[in-house]
Amino acid sequence: MEFALLQAVFLPLLLAPVAYVIGRKFGPTAATWFTFGLLLYCTFLIIDVALSGHYEEHYTWTKLFGEFGFKLDGLAIPFAVIIYVLSAILALYSQPYMIHKFKEFYEEHAHSHSSESGTGQSTALVESTALTTYVNNKSGLYFALYLVFAMGMLGTVLATNLIEFYIFFEIMLIPAFFLVAFWGDGPRRRISLMFFFWTHAGAVVLLLGFLTIGLNVGSFDFTAIQESKIPSNVVMLAAVAIVIGLGVKLAAFIFHIWLPYVHGAAPTPISALLSPAMIGIGAYGIFRLIVEFLPGQYAEMALWLHIWGLATMIYGGAMALMQDDLKRLLAYSSVSQMGYILFGIGSYSTLGLAGAEMMYVTHGLGKALLFMTAGILIVQVGSRSISKLGGLAGKMPITAVCGVIGALTIIGVPPTSGFMGEWTLFYGALETAIKDHATTGSIVRMVTFGLGLVATVLTMSYMLWMLKRVFFGKLPENLSHVKEASWYMTAPMMVLAGFTIVVGIYPDIFFNNIIPYMKGVLGA
Amino acid sequence: MEPLSGIAVSGTNAWAVWILPFVAALIIPAVGKASKRAAGWVAVALALASALYAATMIPGALASHEIHDQVNWISSIGIKAGVLADPLAVIMANVVGWISFLIIVYSTGYMKGDKDIVRFWFWMMFFIGSMQLIVLSDNLLMMFFGWEGVGLASYALIGFWYRDKAKDHVGIEGKKVLGLMEYYSPTHAGIKAFIMTKVGDIMMLSGMFLIFAFAGTFGFRELMHDTAWATSMQAQGLLVPAAILLFGGAIGKSAQFPLNEWLLEAMTGPTSVSALIHAATMVKAGVFLVARLGPLFFALAAAGFALDQFFTVIAWVGAITALLLATQGMVNSEIKKVLAYSTGSQIGYMMMALGIAGLSRQFVDGYTAGFFHLISHAMFKASLFMAAGSLLHVVGSRFMTDMGGLRKHMKKTYAFMWAAGLGLMGAPFITTGFWSKDAIFAAVYESGSQWAIPLFAIAVLTAVITAFYTVRMIGMVFFGDKSKHLEHMEKEGHHIHEAPMSMWVPYGILAALTIGIGVIGLTAEHGIRELFTEYLANTFHIESAHIAVEQGMTIPFLEGINPVALGASLAAFTIGGGLGYIFYIGRFVDPVKFVNSNIFFYSLHKVILNRWYLNAMVYWCFVVAPLWIVRGVWRYFEKTVIDTGINMGLERAVGWSAKVVQKTQTGITQSYLYVFGAGILFVVLFLFI
Repeated sequence: MEFALLQAVFLPLLLAPVAYVIGRKFGPTAATWFTFGLLLYCTFLIIDVALSGHYEEHYTWTKLFGEFGFKLDGLAIPFAVIIYVLSAILALYSQPYMIHKFKEFYEEHAHSHSSESGTGQSTALVESTALTTYVNNKSGLYFALYLVFAMGMLGTVLATNLIEFYIFFEIMLIPAFFLVAFWGDGPRRRISLMFFFWTHAGAVVLLLGFLTIGLNVGSFDFTAIQESKIPSNVVMLAAVAIVIGLGVKLAAFIFHIWLPYVHGAAPTPISALLSPAMIGIGAYGIFRLIVEFLPGQYAEMALWLHIWGLATMIYGGAMALMQDDLKRLLAYSSVSQMGYILFGIGSYSTLGLAGAEMMYVTHGLGKALLFMTAGILIVQVGSRSISKLGGLAGKMPITAVCGVIGALTIIGVPPTSGFMGEWTLFYGALETAIKDHATTGSIVRMVTFGLGLVATVLTMSYMLWMLKRVFFGKLPENLSHVKEASWYMTAPMMVLAGFTIVVGIYPDIFFNNIIPYMKGVLGA
Repeated sequence: MEPLSGIAVSGTNAWAVWILPFVAALIIPAVGKASKRAAGWVAVALALASALYAATMIPGALASHEIHDQVNWISSIGIKAGVLADPLAVIMANVVGWISFLIIVYSTGYMKGDKDIVRFWFWMMFFIGSMQLIVLSDNLLMMFFGWEGVGLASYALIGFWYRDKAKDHVGIEGKKVLGLMEYYSPTHAGIKAFIMTKVGDIMMLSGMFLIFAFAGTFGFRELMHDTAWATSMQAQGLLVPAAILLFGGAIGKSAQFPLNEWLLEAMTGPTSVSALIHAATMVKAGVFLVARLGPLFFALAAAGFALDQFFTVIAWVGAITALLLATQGMVNSEIKKVLAYSTGSQIGYMMMALGIAGLSRQFVDGYTAGFFHLISHAMFKASLFMAAGSLLHVVGSRFMTDMGGLRKHMKKTYAFMWAAGLGLMGAPFITTGFWSKDAIFAAVYESGSQWAIPLFAIAVLTAVITAFYTVRMIGMVFFGDKSKHLEHMEKEGHHIHEAPMSMWVPYGILAALTIGIGVIGLTAEHGIRELFTEYLANTFHIESAHIAVEQGMTIPFLEGINPVALGASLAAFTIGGGLGYIFYIGRFVDPVKFVNSNIFFYSLHKVILNRWYLNAMVYWCFVVAPLWIVRGVWRYFEKTVIDTGINMGLERAVGWSAKVVQKTQTGITQSYLYVFGAGILFVVLFLFI
């Protein structure tokens, strides 16, 4: 299909104002279905062209930067598919969650307003129309921003040019910033600024790396970079800058501190997109820019990435054990999972890299499920503090089952997709350790492999402990009225839960794309 | 191998054996919506169908025919999925299938009226399906799916009563060991089982990876076909570590030392789950793994690879577990816990036999002995657990001290428990347990290994203890006076009665089989040995030095029995059983007074009662201490250094610099122009230079 990717990327941007108008005129439900339909259509566009395995589109752009193109290859397909599948599904999920949220904000607003004026004599009818207008306006804005956020993420993984990559990379930040600032929890303005500051600082470091490469090569096009030889003293610096820039996005150890704040505060459907889909784009960047384009530097850096990944894995997991706020626990878990991906990237073997990319897919599915669980608890129970929950499995069985499947995906228990990611990833790590058994690096890699496996036990501990405290045990008395969530929330979860099991049993859906690409990259 | 016409069945039957239970698991939630009763019938019907499919493979297996059927799976890595139904797998599939079926039937009575019964059926069928998947897979990766599947199912079923009511806990409330509570809720126990077995699983996974890295395949037959991988692994010194790591999986799943502590808390699940875990699935998976991989390593050892360390580890782990858990069985007051300890201990016997097989170079002896014991144990232990379930059902307490004098009220259960209990004790000549245990004794004694004598001594000592605790259990439950608890129940109008038929029939069948097969035990053992001799010779090219019996010959009574082993076995039964009789049936001596009579017995009793302090130490090292460290890191590093230091520091710095920059925004146009001009000048100069 012609212009398939152009449509998939720019239709959401162009139609974002339409979503805004629909929201204002016809209310949140219409806007939800519009957003969902649009993203679903775009998802099908992507899947349709992805079936051919490799697909590119090129358009002319300003001469200064080079070509404006979209490329869907073995690396980009899983990222693109997961980003849009999650975006589409979470659009539906947003409906009840955001209405709940808007109402809360309205009450807060009206309360402070009426206490200021001291009258509060408005009739119920006026009140309810005012509320409807408020919700309609806000949901229009929400879905407009939502669409831009989704297209920004997709554009990043399809870009074929450094500047294009950078632009999309920043585009996804802007709506995310506003979404947190408008409808977040807690001190949302401060947190959104912190988010903006950290990721933007990372992006600037990234840009420095890009400029160094671009100016040395004389072009920003990926194809040109791939074929050129860059002076090695400069390029290492550029590579380090890129890795650090993307490391902030990935929330790797030391740069992770913004993530628990932001993912804890963001509106839950956005957390469910931010956490698995957006931060993982940092991993995409490392695959594309370092592993594929700078193989020499990658070979030098691999062991360090490996160790950095290990540190992130263990640290994130350990911190997750200490959380009482469910969303913060999940956020630290995301940090840990990004560690797995870095660990896999550092493994320097085909299956290790393939496993790392598979981890993106499986983390996307699993963590989305868990954030959706957290969102349901916020709406139905009104609490996200784990110590106030318990025994909810009997009250909300569908949520509990889907949440448990999500947790099992993160733990990596077959037949969920998590296992397919994990075994290839760890096998890759071990394979490299065995292959160069004569070097000292191999001993280090043996140790990191062992510690990495210990980290999986850690993952298992915090996940199972969380499940126990939320869903099992005694039901607190004040929660005896809790009911199952609406279909808008549970049906999307069931779809994702089914998907993770399908991928777990038949991983070739993604491996067929990933493995040939990784083989090509490593020249194996 | 040539397919044999008439008795050969297609691969479909082997697939059906493990797929059908999963099909049941899939449709049970839907059926359960309509009718909970119907969900139970689906479970019974498909468990039976699966077992029947397993039975269709028996004739082929007896003729040493092998079903091996593969399909493409992860084609991008070149991994295939397949079923492998050789004699070993077929026997195991039948043991699992039929015992599971009986347990499912029993559960229809035992779980009657539970409001979450649909979930129960789902997980039971998932459990059985996973176990059959382990048994029938033709490669390690697919087996690992089943392997984790049983872990998952055990997590779900041990924590089945997730509301954590006090009656579902195990342990004695308020009991502390080394400062830590030993009183666990179902959900806690589920997590404990899942995580502890996971530790074994990741060891197994590492072993699998090591082998895959060298062999490029996970397939059992492919690994056997070309052993070049073993040569290069040995050259790098990785063969023994890989083998031991693989065995690590078995240690975790079969609750062997040092990963044995989860098995006790697993008793929080419904009793039918305990029966399934102990007799057919889960803990038997570990033994099956060793039996599955054992011949491969036997063949390698026969080909001159140095694997003695590996077999020594297996044998010793088995021996230590057998003794360690048997001792704890002597002192516990909860009936299910006694049985749980007993299972771990008996599995230790099996491991010991399989390990000694590799050390003795007379593989088939130990191999047959271990596997025969697996079968006989599956029968009597399933029977014992189900009977214990009936007792719990009737008495409403897990403590044996709340029972007593029940033999008049529950005659059937009493009789069946004696029959199965005699199997566990190894009552001479009439029970399967005797023959299989005797075979293990003989295999250990005759092995000629340097460890033969100490291992033999441990085995015999364990047998004494086993006989003792079995009699103790039966004595405490069925003999003596009624406990206060029972008197109280009767006063309140509860009539103490036999369990319903759907419950006693299944364990009655298994108890009868224990005796029935026991009577012809030696013949059965010879049959299995013959089958395995052929199996090892055909598939693994391991020739046994002597084949005990020629086909078609009648076996003279006690032919091929080692007199020392026989003597030891008889002595153990007499001493252990006799002591048990004195204390608990005849009640000539009060055990409490006896234990308190001197400091040695008192302290020994206390150490054993506190589980040799192992459980508490596991908690201290792997739960309390790590949490303490993590809390420190959280407080002093994450919150202080990173959050306050870096994050807030940056925020302050930005705020401060913003103030600095603010000062430049004076609003005076002239000063802006000056700066603007200076900038232009700077750029121009820069360009010229």
